[in-house]
Amino acid sequence: MSNSRPVDAMFTRRALVAGGVGAAMFSGLIARLFQLQVLDRERYELAAAENGVKLELAPPRRGRILDRFGRPLATHRRAGRVYIVREQAGDVGAVLKQVARYIDLSPERQEAIIYETRRQASFRPVIVVSELSYEDFATLSLVAPELPGLLVEMAPTRSYPRGRDFAHVLGYVGKANGDYIFNEAYEALSTSRPPALERALASEFARIRLSASRRAEFYESHPADSSDLRAFEQVYRDVSGLLLHRDMRVGRLGVEARAESYLRGEAGFRRLETNAAGRIIRELPSDDLAPKPGKDLSLTVDADLQKITIDRFGEESGAAVVMDVTNGDILAFVSTPAFDPNDFVNGISQSDYDMLRNNDRSPLYHKAYDGTYPPGSTFKMIVGIAGLESGVTTPEERVTCNGRYRFGNNTWHCWRPKGHGPVNLHDAMKGSCDVYFYEMAKRIGIEKIASLAEEFGLGRDWELGLTGGRAGTVPNDAWKRERTGEPWYQGETLNVGIGQGQLAASPLQLAIMTARIATMGRSVNPRIIGLGPEVEASVPEMKAVDPAIMNRIRDSMFAVTSEPGGTALASGELHVDGLRMAGKTGTAQVRRISEAERRSGILGGEDLERRLRDHALFVAYAPHDAPKYAISVVVEHGEGGSTTAAPIARDILSAALAMDSARQANYMAASHSGDTEPDSGTV
Amino acid sequence: MASSLSFTRRSFLRQVSELPWGLILLLCAMAVIGLVVLYSSTFTNPAEAGLPLRQAIRLVIALIVLIIAALFPLRLWLYLAWPAYFATLFMLVLVEFFGASGGGAERWLSIPGLVRVQPSEFMKVTLTLALAAYYHKRWHDFSGGFSIHLPALLLIMAPALLIFRQPDFGTTLALIASGGVLIFLAGLYKRVILTVGVLAIASIPTVYIFVLKDYQRERVDTYLAQLTGETVNVMDDGYQIEQARIAIGSGGMFGKGYMQGIQAQLDYIPEQHTDFILTVLAEEFGFVTTTAVLLMWMLILGLGMLIGMRSTSLFGRFAAFGAMATISFYIFFNVAMVLGLLPVVGVPLPLLSYGGTVMLTTAICFGLVCAVHLAKDEALNNA
Repeated sequence: MSNSRPVDAMFTRRALVAGGVGAAMFSGLIARLFQLQVLDRERYELAAAENGVKLELAPPRRGRILDRFGRPLATHRRAGRVYIVREQAGDVGAVLKQVARYIDLSPERQEAIIYETRRQASFRPVIVVSELSYEDFATLSLVAPELPGLLVEMAPTRSYPRGRDFAHVLGYVGKANGDYIFNEAYEALSTSRPPALERALASEFARIRLSASRRAEFYESHPADSSDLRAFEQVYRDVSGLLLHRDMRVGRLGVEARAESYLRGEAGFRRLETNAAGRIIRELPSDDLAPKPGKDLSLTVDADLQKITIDRFGEESGAAVVMDVTNGDILAFVSTPAFDPNDFVNGISQSDYDMLRNNDRSPLYHKAYDGTYPPGSTFKMIVGIAGLESGVTTPEERVTCNGRYRFGNNTWHCWRPKGHGPVNLHDAMKGSCDVYFYEMAKRIGIEKIASLAEEFGLGRDWELGLTGGRAGTVPNDAWKRERTGEPWYQGETLNVGIGQGQLAASPLQLAIMTARIATMGRSVNPRIIGLGPEVEASVPEMKAVDPAIMNRIRDSMFAVTSEPGGTALASGELHVDGLRMAGKTGTAQVRRISEAERRSGILGGEDLERRLRDHALFVAYAPHDAPKYAISVVVEHGEGGSTTAAPIARDILSAALAMDSARQANYMAASHSGDTEPDSGTV
Repeated sequence: MASSLSFTRRSFLRQVSELPWGLILLLCAMAVIGLVVLYSSTFTNPAEAGLPLRQAIRLVIALIVLIIAALFPLRLWLYLAWPAYFATLFMLVLVEFFGASGGGAERWLSIPGLVRVQPSEFMKVTLTLALAAYYHKRWHDFSGGFSIHLPALLLIMAPALLIFRQPDFGTTLALIASGGVLIFLAGLYKRVILTVGVLAIASIPTVYIFVLKDYQRERVDTYLAQLTGETVNVMDDGYQIEQARIAIGSGGMFGKGYMQGIQAQLDYIPEQHTDFILTVLAEEFGFVTTTAVLLMWMLILGLGMLIGMRSTSLFGRFAAFGAMATISFYIFFNVAMVLGLLPVVGVPLPLLSYGGTVMLTTAICFGLVCAVHLAKDEALNNA
């Protein structure tokens, strides 16, 4: 019955047409499929490969800081760390409450974190806990996927394995603050970078905006035109992009700060495969973009000697510098008590910082480098040399000391009330007679003393390549006129003659002075960076001093420790092979003892409270006949150089000799072999 | 004639045995392919873990629906054509007033706690039935003239307008297209077809400017932009099309292997388990297999049309062709959209995409075709 009606024939005809058109349309689809999958395959394969790849800024690994034998003083390790990102977390407080269910997180700490996330740009991770225990890390890693904005990872951390030992030398690293970023961007403005890195940085961190105040600041210093500003903003974004990275730390003090560019290295990128939601699936090979690690830096110090020195001080507060007299290498550079630089890496709490700042033994203060003290009797070598050099006296001339010295209308006292009797230079040094040196100072005059003091290293800010350093004071007429507008009085010269008055020197300077005496007046220049950035310092050569004079002085210093009547006789013998040191005791007056007190019998010491007691000083070199090490020791409020400082110096010198601290250094070049811990990729 | 309405046990079994089992088996095979691909596309996303199982359960239900629809006598289909059409139209009107939103458009009609239906989807089937019933009744005065085709056009345009207002551009287009196929099969003058075609093309700018909503215009813009090869705004539609093309293109001749598709496994393509399921198939199995699946669909559709051509009754013919046209346009629009040949209109791929609505439509359509097959010798004369 089919096709019996005309309509059936028409339907069949048209049905075939419709089917044909449909088949043609489907064939078109297949043709398109062929075009995409076969003809253009390569193009889309490439696109697919690039699709899931995200470049993430990778901060460079900071170079280590080693001692002269390659022992790490500052290194890196990995620590489990939690961050929170406000942008992803939404309600930061709620997420933190969740976190507090798994780990110990006080409500106060939660408040502080919330405050910090508000302060930072919303996409910046803020540290919740900087160092997690293994258990906490495992727990949080498990639950992190369910807590929005929570980032749990093994983060590289700067670590100071020797703790407090090198606090003042190394300083510490910390997060860069706004001023730091601004200054670095400012300095970087003139130097160019590779364009590829520039582009990547720009796109990654385009959201960082220069604040209005910074903008205004820059306008004021650069009124020229706004293209300058744009260029600067670009650089600022790059710099802040790196410096604000959660794993990035910059040197804030000490060698860490001054050797920043040497230690830092260059930032790179990591290729991360991400899914459409941005979640990281895995890390792809990124060796071609890898950050360049910073170079290792070697100090001249001997970490063991440093530790022995600190331990020897015990509870005392003070400073000590041990130097190799042959080349100026600083072997120990101690200021004690100290802080632990590890506490600063992830930010120290305000209360901890206040405790350090309010401690009356000033742990934050670098006493060996920034501290200046009246050198006291340790200055008498300079006056002795000046006396012989200027010809105002002879080694044999005797000056009679009856305990006091009259000049003009005033009386100056010897530390020994009953006096030393008639003393020549040798005796005066041995017994540290003040009257002899009052007389000599008066004869020599301040200008000659001052210039010789400078020859021996005082009054100069020695550049070592770490932050700080003070010049101290070597006063003279010009100095006083400039300071007070008044001329120099000869009476003041007498005070300088025994190392008091305006005279002030750092323990470092006293060590330099001692080293130069020990080497018969060679220009021993200190250095603490053995292998690292160039330290710019132009130090004039010393003028030659008559060896006969230097021998006299050295003999007298030997007498101090080794002849009957020597002020440090008890400490002269070292613990090594019967070797002896040569040295000089000193007392730095913290305040003048008034006549009233003198009459009532208060001569200092036990009678005064600690903060008013004198500082004890001792400088020495050893062995006395073939000097190798020079040392200066300051014990704050230690009272007597002979009783407190000299034994410390003796023990430290003994240790240095026993360990042969000055032996050939083994500066490690910037190779990372034998590293403390290997770096891994993302966690 | 009344005898055909009453079943005996014997005739029921005969009917079952006479079902076009080849066609049904092909559909089942296609459904299994769909499940395999769906498993790969949902594998990496824990939130989608239960989807393949749910899809499998739905497929079993759909098969049952298909068999029941197939065994439903064609005469009953004919009787119910008009009530079904007007009931659906009424529901569309209700959507206009009480519709629930879903994805930016009001498509759903729900009685809370009871049912939630999408009348526009039903309309694809009931419009086919209505048009088939209409031409079946008017068989004796078949001509190319307007008088016979104008009511048919009204039958199409009434629901089309309502659905367009929801707005659901994809369904509107599918409705007009498959309705148009039936009008063509009913013998509309060729010159009229040409005129309408020219007018339709000419009216595109007018529609674009005055009729389309902003988001629809954006889709068209995106489509035009990507046709010329430029990379369009990365988010939203342009992103989806771009990612889909990358997935398909990188699949190559033989694909990256099952569950190895980078695009698919890393969730780069939005809706990859529903409307964009073809990208997973193309990326992981390559050109050869994807083409085979398309050819398999052509075979299925061809078998359906063959059943239509063998039907004695005009109702059977139109119903079968209408059903196959509906499924064809689903597939064509979906594949063309995924391949970047058409704007993204939100049409799923029958039996492959995850989702219940299209599966139900597919089952009913093929059930209807089977019913036509069983009644191929009945004239259904209502005279």
